[in-house]
Amino acid sequence: MAPKPAPNGNAAQTPVQAAQSALPAVVGINFGNAYASIAVYTKEGLAECIANENGERQIACAIAFHGEEIYIGNQAMPQLVKNGQNTITGFRNLLGKKFSEIDQSKAAASAPIIQHPTEADIPAYKVDILQPAPTPLPTSTTNTPAASHAATPRSEPMPSTRILTPQEATTMFLSSLLQSATDFLGKPILGAVITAPPFFTETQKDALKKAAEDAGVRVLQLLDEANAVLTTTTSPQWPGGAEDRTQLIVDVGASSLSLSVIALRSGLGYILGSRTITDAANIGGDALSSLLVKYFAKEFAKKTKTALSQPPSSKEDVRATTKLLLALEYTKRTLSASPAPASLSVESLHSGLDYTATIARMRFDLLASPVYTSISSEIKSLLESIAMDPHSIDEIAYVGGTACLPGLDSHLLTSVGFSEDVRTAFSNSTMGSGAIGDPTGVLSTGCALQAALLLDFMEASPELVQTFEQTNEVKTTVRTIGMLFPTSSAEDSNGLGGIYISVIHKHTPLPARRLFEVEVALSGGEGDKATKFGFEVWEVEEEIKVDKVAPPPSDEPPASDDEEDEPEEVKTKITTKRAFLGTLFGETKGTPVKDKTKKGTYAAAVQIEFVLGSDGVLLVEARDSKGETVGELRVES
Amino acid sequence: MAIFPLPANYAPPASTSKLTPFVVQPKGKLITAGPAYFAHIRLLHEHDGDFKKLDAATALEREKAAANGNGNGEEDDLGVGDESEDEALLSLDPKEWKKQDHYRVLGLSHLRWTANAAQIKKAHRKKVLRHHPDKKASDPTVAALGLNLNTNDDAFFKCIQKAHEVLTNPERRRQFDSVDPSFLEEVDDVPSASDFKTNPPPFLPTFAPIFERESRFSRKQPVPKLAVPREGDASSKDPNDIEDHDFPTLKAHVEAFYDFWYNFDSWRSFEWLDKEVNEGSDSRDDKRYTEKKNKSERARRKKDDIARVRGIVDLCLSVDPRIKYIKLKEKEAREAKKAATNKKGGAPAAPAGKSKKEEEEEKAKKEEEEKAAKAEAKKAKAAAANAAKKARRAARAEDGGAA
Repeated sequence: MAPKPAPNGNAAQTPVQAAQSALPAVVGINFGNAYASIAVYTKEGLAECIANENGERQIACAIAFHGEEIYIGNQAMPQLVKNGQNTITGFRNLLGKKFSEIDQSKAAASAPIIQHPTEADIPAYKVDILQPAPTPLPTSTTNTPAASHAATPRSEPMPSTRILTPQEATTMFLSSLLQSATDFLGKPILGAVITAPPFFTETQKDALKKAAEDAGVRVLQLLDEANAVLTTTTSPQWPGGAEDRTQLIVDVGASSLSLSVIALRSGLGYILGSRTITDAANIGGDALSSLLVKYFAKEFAKKTKTALSQPPSSKEDVRATTKLLLALEYTKRTLSASPAPASLSVESLHSGLDYTATIARMRFDLLASPVYTSISSEIKSLLESIAMDPHSIDEIAYVGGTACLPGLDSHLLTSVGFSEDVRTAFSNSTMGSGAIGDPTGVLSTGCALQAALLLDFMEASPELVQTFEQTNEVKTTVRTIGMLFPTSSAEDSNGLGGIYISVIHKHTPLPARRLFEVEVALSGGEGDKATKFGFEVWEVEEEIKVDKVAPPPSDEPPASDDEEDEPEEVKTKITTKRAFLGTLFGETKGTPVKDKTKKGTYAAAVQIEFVLGSDGVLLVEARDSKGETVGELRVES
Repeated sequence: MAIFPLPANYAPPASTSKLTPFVVQPKGKLITAGPAYFAHIRLLHEHDGDFKKLDAATALEREKAAANGNGNGEEDDLGVGDESEDEALLSLDPKEWKKQDHYRVLGLSHLRWTANAAQIKKAHRKKVLRHHPDKKASDPTVAALGLNLNTNDDAFFKCIQKAHEVLTNPERRRQFDSVDPSFLEEVDDVPSASDFKTNPPPFLPTFAPIFERESRFSRKQPVPKLAVPREGDASSKDPNDIEDHDFPTLKAHVEAFYDFWYNFDSWRSFEWLDKEVNEGSDSRDDKRYTEKKNKSERARRKKDDIARVRGIVDLCLSVDPRIKYIKLKEKEAREAKKAATNKKGGAPAAPAGKSKKEEEEEKAKKEEEEKAAKAEAKKAKAAAANAAKKARRAARAEDGGAA
């Protein structure tokens, strides 16, 4: 029987099961600068990213004012073309900022940011609206000529302006998201968890919190993006969610990139290193879009002999660029979803000329390679800064719409040099809208899970709610602790002198407990007199062995020109014994093994518990099927 | 992977070392999210980092959750849907739907007429899930048996649909409940008067279930129980112990009980047993004839049913030990009074405990009670005579019919 790790001390006590019976009325909101998404508990008892009433899972963070109408979400985006002055986008990053802190250099098609007319140093948007006209006065009943039966014509709405701060815009936008979630659940929402980017300051977080409370929801927590990813990736919905692994989170936003390396140890996440890059060249979805716009502008000029200058010089150019950008959203999504070439078509792009084109994945990846390369170099430098080999990464969690591109995945795998069996949403095949691993839904799903957990937690331990976000420094293990079942030298295959099982991986936060169920063969006598078993406990080092092999000449990829010729590296994971901690000897009664080839041997199922306390003492205990201790070992630090 | 026994010559390495000191990573930070993190801070803050304490606390919480119920996330099945289905049930003919036991078909035979709408709905859903023809075609066990492979076998499904149709329509359900086959089975084991003459069975255990059974048909609810209700813990006392009761309460209850049952207002009706108009016959006369027959048959059955209930009540009254007890008590009271008046007449100087007025009141009350009892007895007698007459007439009618 293969030893199978049992659910251990930390992750086993999930209150999620209890939460499933009466589906918690909570919502998780991933509030990005460009797009937002919402997740709730669906009837199946699983947290899922849901579509709003317009069928959108990715909801653009945009508000457009057109006459008396207000458009929120993806409907507001087309307004950027004709009604850009009254359309607000990108307001999240302005939350809690002073007017003087805002960088105004970037030209945008949306409403410009102005100084608030009455409040000092507060940014605001000014939009033209039509105010509904006051209802006509009721007609008097006294002495008037015979009334006409025609309805009194409604007087024209009055043009007026409205001043909106980013905070008010956020409140407006969040309340529309909450409305969608309430409509989906059919009951009022008890609480929400909202993502906040790691670069947000305390003032910005407070502003976001206040905006959400104004929208009429109780904010349970503002969650860092890495935290939201952890909640999703350790949930039972995630394939292999309970396993111990080292995870790299690649969050490609519209304008920022966040990377984190996290040691997942039985559900506990320990950040080994993280980095957030904003406003750098060639980072994020916007950079990718502008590269593509340049390409298509050139193609358009070639095809129609009409210049579409980039960067846009005239008003018409700006409009054409905006149209192109909007159409590109769909092209990018099509490319992410299917291997076939994607089309792009814009009616009346410039000077009344329509434009239709198709782009294949290969061409697209080539165009996007500057973005891909800058992402991979950031990953490389992060891994270097924490002295970690790419081969030690077991899983990559992609977040954000741009990370849906299969080209990015394959580029990262080859250029950073991850091992071949690294798990991603692509290799797990959990991509696609609505799937758990879809980069666009990971954050909101995590927020919904966390919200449900928090509601339970607040009920169970209200006294701990104040402190749960403040973490003291946590000690972690440096080396992996494992057990070794010694065998005679003939069966030794891995050079360790027996069968080795890793128990407590390195970077495990203290205290920790692990349980294993193992069937051991017994020795020390003939037949049922065999009662003895034992194993050694070792500290081991898991290393990556690098062998350089000269590449065969035909194996050179011809497409990429930024790669240099270098000998191919073959990396293998090896385990070496470092320190012997002790041997556990135990005695128990066994049952005869049924296998004919091993007639006469006795075996027993034992449960082995490793407890590494906060005091740094390792206790190893072996118990039989009745739960009685049959062997013990204590190791001091 | 197999775990081998320790080699015979195994000797542990000579020197053991201590654990490598634990460190705080320079950039390390624990992520404050996820179920494991909440368990972690509970462990640290509430249980001093002791896993055993955490385990104990978790076990306690689970017990609590289990005690509260619904902790397992399963939907409440309202206690339906786990009845066994035997061969006879599954081979029911949907054409004979009038004869099938609809409650049994839906797996509700433990609830029968007490089943509420939600339970019927739930039971129907469960049965449909199991017996839908689409399901049957792909059912591996059926396929393995080589049965119903490509036959269009939806007979039982039709029975289920019919049962659902009947039980969800209040009017049709009432008709079916009136002739509920399980009720008809039970109805026969009513003891006769002769049983009580020779070897009387215990009164309460015999009659209480009978009245319990009949009370379902009452339009007036709740129906008074045969046994006199008791205050406090009823189970500790013997229900047959009459003397234990407060006399006026006992009397009031018994009288109210018989009053109710002699004026029993039943909703039981017999439309269910109507004969169908001959199929294919368009004849208006035929139809009218059958309708007329059905009507008279219904009326006859209803009359019989009333007589049946009346008969039970009569029998019950005639053997009720409480009635005897009440009569005895009243007689005693009368005699005591008589003796008292005699005494009063003989020895006027005797110290009267009560004033004259009080005595008079008492007398009036007693007289009233006696009158009521007499009336009751008279009524009962008349009813019995009536029932007997009816029975005779029915017998004669039958004889006549047979002849």
